[in-house]
Amino acid sequence: MGSRLDVGRCWRFNDDEQPAYPTINVTLSSRGRKVLITPKVDTGFNGSLAIGSGDVRRLRLTPAGTVLIRTATGSNEVPVYLVKVSQPELAIAYTTLAIGTERSLVGRKLLQNRTWLLDCREGRLCIVTRAG
Amino acid sequence: MNRAFVEAVRTFKSEPFRSVDLVERLGYAAGYARNVLSQASRQGLLIAESGKGRREKKFRVNPDVVREVVLRGGKEKGELLEALGLRSKYLGEYVALRGFRVVDHDLDLYSLSERVFSNAEMQGEIVVTNVGTPKRIITVEL
Repeated sequence: MGSRLDVGRCWRFNDDEQPAYPTINVTLSSRGRKVLITPKVDTGFNGSLAIGSGDVRRLRLTPAGTVLIRTATGSNEVPVYLVKVSQPELAIAYTTLAIGTERSLVGRKLLQNRTWLLDCREGRLCIVTRAG
Repeated sequence: MNRAFVEAVRTFKSEPFRSVDLVERLGYAAGYARNVLSQASRQGLLIAESGKGRREKKFRVNPDVVREVVLRGGKEKGELLEALGLRSKYLGEYVALRGFRVVDHDLDLYSLSERVFSNAEMQGEIVVTNVGTPKRIITVEL
């Protein structure tokens, strides 16, 4: 007999563009400053976190380097920032390098080791837990 | 960042050098060598070391330049990393630099950053960057 899958914490899709896209909440902090953001979940992003320029300003981050990244339109050189990311439901609380992009994104590295439900009909992204 | 400065980095790295060294090792005319040193010092690219007399004056490449150039990125970054000899050693990798020194390197950006930024005191001094196109490049919205 297989184990049962239970739907845990869910986050609503953001419908500020169409089709609506999945998001999750994460808290970013650096040197005593803290912001709660709702980045787009980007499964085409193989890193952990991308941070938009507005959030960089709010946290007053200074770059810790520059790296070349590949996007759909080619290669770009972007700044990287050291930032603490925390997400209690995912048991995440660590300092990581976030790449500087136009908008904040969560990548596969932050999503890995979890089972997810992408529920486009209900417009929600949920953590799935195994029971039994 | 001018060509002569890049050549000075390539030749002397972090070692001190004099005007006469530019003449002998890089083949510059004496007047040109003096101008290069004067201009690069004014720009903060070189640090003058006080010697016994004016003829003994030595210069070093300012290690802070490495950080500044890496953070500016672009073509200059590639030229500087090549001049420092990193392209031949670490092509396709990410490196963590403290001044001229490679403190660590890795194919994976996140593994590297976990190691080098675990020491809070070092966080303001180290910069990370890619050497050439990373073998494990970060992809976004692909």
